Amino acid sequence: MTAERLKTKAEQGYAAQFSELESRSSSQDWVQRLREDAMSEFNAIGLPHRRVEEWKYTDLRARIGEVYGPAGDAAALSGEKLATLLGPLGDIDAVRLVLVNGVLDEALSDLAALSGSCEILPLHKAVDDAPDWVRGMLTTVNPPRPADATVALNQAFLANGVALRTRMAAPGRLEKPIMIVHVTGGESERPTSAMTRNLLAIGDGVEATVVEAHVQLGTMPSQVNAVTETMLGERASLQHIKAQTEGAETTHLSTWMTRLGAQASYRAFQFSTGGALSRNQIFVAFAGEGASSHLNGAVMARGGQHNDTTMVVDHAVPGCESREFYKLVLDDAARGIVQCKVNVHRDAQKSDGHQAAHAMLLSEAAEFDSKPELEIFADDVVCGHGSTSGQVDEEFLFYLRSRGIPEPQARALLISAFTGEAIAKVDDEAVRGAFQTMAEAWLADEGA
Amino acid sequence: MAAVQETVEHVKEMEVDKYKYGFETDIETVKAPKGLNEDIVRFISDKKGEPQWMLDWRLEAYRRWLTMDEPKWSRVHYPKIDFQDLYYYAAPKSTEGPKSLDEVDPELLETYAKLGIPLKEQEILAGVRKQDEPSQLDDVESGNSGYGKVAIDAVFDSVSVVTTFKKELAKAGVIFCPISEAVKEHPDLVKKYLSTVVPTSDNYYATLNSAVFSDGSFVYIPEGVRCPMELSTYFRINEKQTGQFERTLIIADKGSYVSYLEGCTAPMRDENQLHAAVVELVALDDAEIKYSTVQNWYPGDKEGKGGVYNFVTKRGDCRGRNSKISWTQVETGSAITWKYPSCILRGDNSVGEFYSIAISNGYQQVDSGTKMIHLGKNTSSRIISKGIAAGRSDNTYRGLVSAHRKATGARNFTACDSLLIGDQCGAHTIPYIEAKNSQATFEHEATTSKISDDQLFYCQARGMNEEEAVALIVNGFVRDVIQKLPMEFMAETQRLIGISLEGSVG
Repeated sequence: MTAERLKTKAEQGYAAQFSELESRSSSQDWVQRLREDAMSEFNAIGLPHRRVEEWKYTDLRARIGEVYGPAGDAAALSGEKLATLLGPLGDIDAVRLVLVNGVLDEALSDLAALSGSCEILPLHKAVDDAPDWVRGMLTTVNPPRPADATVALNQAFLANGVALRTRMAAPGRLEKPIMIVHVTGGESERPTSAMTRNLLAIGDGVEATVVEAHVQLGTMPSQVNAVTETMLGERASLQHIKAQTEGAETTHLSTWMTRLGAQASYRAFQFSTGGALSRNQIFVAFAGEGASSHLNGAVMARGGQHNDTTMVVDHAVPGCESREFYKLVLDDAARGIVQCKVNVHRDAQKSDGHQAAHAMLLSEAAEFDSKPELEIFADDVVCGHGSTSGQVDEEFLFYLRSRGIPEPQARALLISAFTGEAIAKVDDEAVRGAFQTMAEAWLADEGA
Repeated sequence: MAAVQETVEHVKEMEVDKYKYGFETDIETVKAPKGLNEDIVRFISDKKGEPQWMLDWRLEAYRRWLTMDEPKWSRVHYPKIDFQDLYYYAAPKSTEGPKSLDEVDPELLETYAKLGIPLKEQEILAGVRKQDEPSQLDDVESGNSGYGKVAIDAVFDSVSVVTTFKKELAKAGVIFCPISEAVKEHPDLVKKYLSTVVPTSDNYYATLNSAVFSDGSFVYIPEGVRCPMELSTYFRINEKQTGQFERTLIIADKGSYVSYLEGCTAPMRDENQLHAAVVELVALDDAEIKYSTVQNWYPGDKEGKGGVYNFVTKRGDCRGRNSKISWTQVETGSAITWKYPSCILRGDNSVGEFYSIAISNGYQQVDSGTKMIHLGKNTSSRIISKGIAAGRSDNTYRGLVSAHRKATGARNFTACDSLLIGDQCGAHTIPYIEAKNSQATFEHEATTSKISDDQLFYCQARGMNEEEAVALIVNGFVRDVIQKLPMEFMAETQRLIGISLEGSVG
């Protein structure tokens, strides 16, 4: 680098934290190199701002004023406490992996239940032992291009999280959903940060459901940066579900990077109601023909919440199918953003892509920005996108009221029907039920 | 597929191999020295006999331009332009103040004849040239009134050489003249409206244009007047290595209506030519402006060499209540098109429309679209964009629809469809949709496809041969936009589009 960029306070904060981490780091050389390269990459690009096209609507430089310190040693978390944090999600019959500020809490996790079907390693152990599959996956799955600052940061602080690999023969099926619970924060009186990296390797012909739940302990603001790298083998099938319900002062930066083998099926769903600022990124790359990716989601935001969903789907090989379907309900001065870019490469013939984002604005001050982008270089493709934004339909409202339903209930009914269309796309019945309950609770909160 | 192959060949014939308008007219020209500096700006201003305020305005823009960087965000690639290697002013020598058509250099008129423009004004111009009678104009005026008449402000390189129908327009109170003349004769109007829609500092090329614009058209339609004829301008870039910097300003006063046509062809050149025009439209209360463009500049040869760089800033301001601005464009030419005719919907109940056909072939690059900025209440806008990419071209639609906080009841409908012909081209869609008002309703849809086998099969099952079926489908694909074109442009457009309509229109 020739000219040193002027660093913001937050960028300096990250640099300082990095040098602290470096001094007590003892992991292998290759990991250290990964971290250092990532940190210099971050130093070169800095926190994204609105002149960075991918971050046009989410100005991190302005929104992240200072960097919070890591949470340190995890506070002991009781099973009851966890159940409260999870709410309706706690009722889902799943095998749990609990990460408290990124650190795998073995007591709260059902490691034994998974021992037969999966190999599970806390990330720090995974990088120290460095089995080939871990080494092969880290950062090679589907890194965003151009380099993304939040992913680079996550890489620079690579230490916590969990690495999971199925070890079943094809065709295999994981009976119960695996729920990775990300608990952020603690009982202390200071704001904290957590950087988490998860690796999911779903073997050839294996069918699994993974739910990632992001919840918050305590009320202090926190900064979450969570990256999940997912690799699907041939004909593998994964339902990848996320629920994000952190506190109203939390900054949530999340990236899913997924690579699909031939004829694999990836069905993602993100349900997001929490956080002051949330940025949910999904990068999907098709590596084998005949695969399909469905990215669906529902966002409910109010107050001053800022919720950004950014997706990039890369049709690098022929014959793949992609769908994106998002519904947003925005109240008060909330701002919702959906950006999705579908790339179809020159020889990716027979690609089929369709994306849709629909927003319902409940108040004058709410804002919805959408950028459905298509970049197509092959001629035998069917691609399309749709985006709408509007309000509760007065005629529907009148119809319901004329049938004796009071206005608030009628309104709630219409909103829940609106988000319901997205939530219906969750395959797992228990998860779908929990999301419906959460959506209703959100609506009941209205005016409170 | 044979029919598709044939279509591709049609395109090649039409657009690349046989660029019909690649001739050069040998008229002596007066040129400013190469390069750009304050002296050139002064030279241009002096040549035009401009008042001091205009020169100051230009100089300010020039100084601003020096501080700006070329925009890099568009999806187009080209070698860096050396702005010091261009001529910024070229005027045909024989055109110093022609008062009537018969004073016009015959060669110039021949140029128009060669263009083969199926427009009324071409006949008129040819007629004048043949008969050499000064009474010709009057005959036309008295014998052929109302619909179908076109007044032309011909722009040959940089100077507006002749303006027809001035008298009749004057009767209606319409001012239609070169902008250089307007600066002198209607300074109040120019001062009041110039650069109020596209500020001098708006973007790199608009600022450059402000500094060096050579000529263009000025239109003022007074209150309550429906312009008695369609107004038209032909732009041609003729002189080697001359950038053409047109400036058009159209003002429709309260309750008035005007339809304006702009057509472009340029002779074949090896080196890239720069065209950086600025068009400003102002519609006051209840006024309507319809602005149609057919752009067919030289797209470069088979290897992608040469061709026009078309970097244009076009913007309309619906300033008054119930005003309407409608852009229709057919973009078939230019090596690079970088153009976003936009509407600022400021007045309550104002309407903005954008209808576009963009065809790219060979190595052409198109990055075009529109902006609809809803500021007033109950404003509505409609965007219909049809992109057809063939050969090795890239065709990008880039658009912004935004509703301001106060734009209650804003409505937008956007449909942008792309059709790909061949597997070496690219079609891209980059829409930005920003709703800051809950009472705004935005609908956006886009599709990208090739001609589907199902559609072909369906048509063929009904007795059409493959070629007819392809023609029908492509015809249907661009129909929404073709219908919005003024009658006068239909014939030329259909010829230019060849690709899609050949065979289906006979």
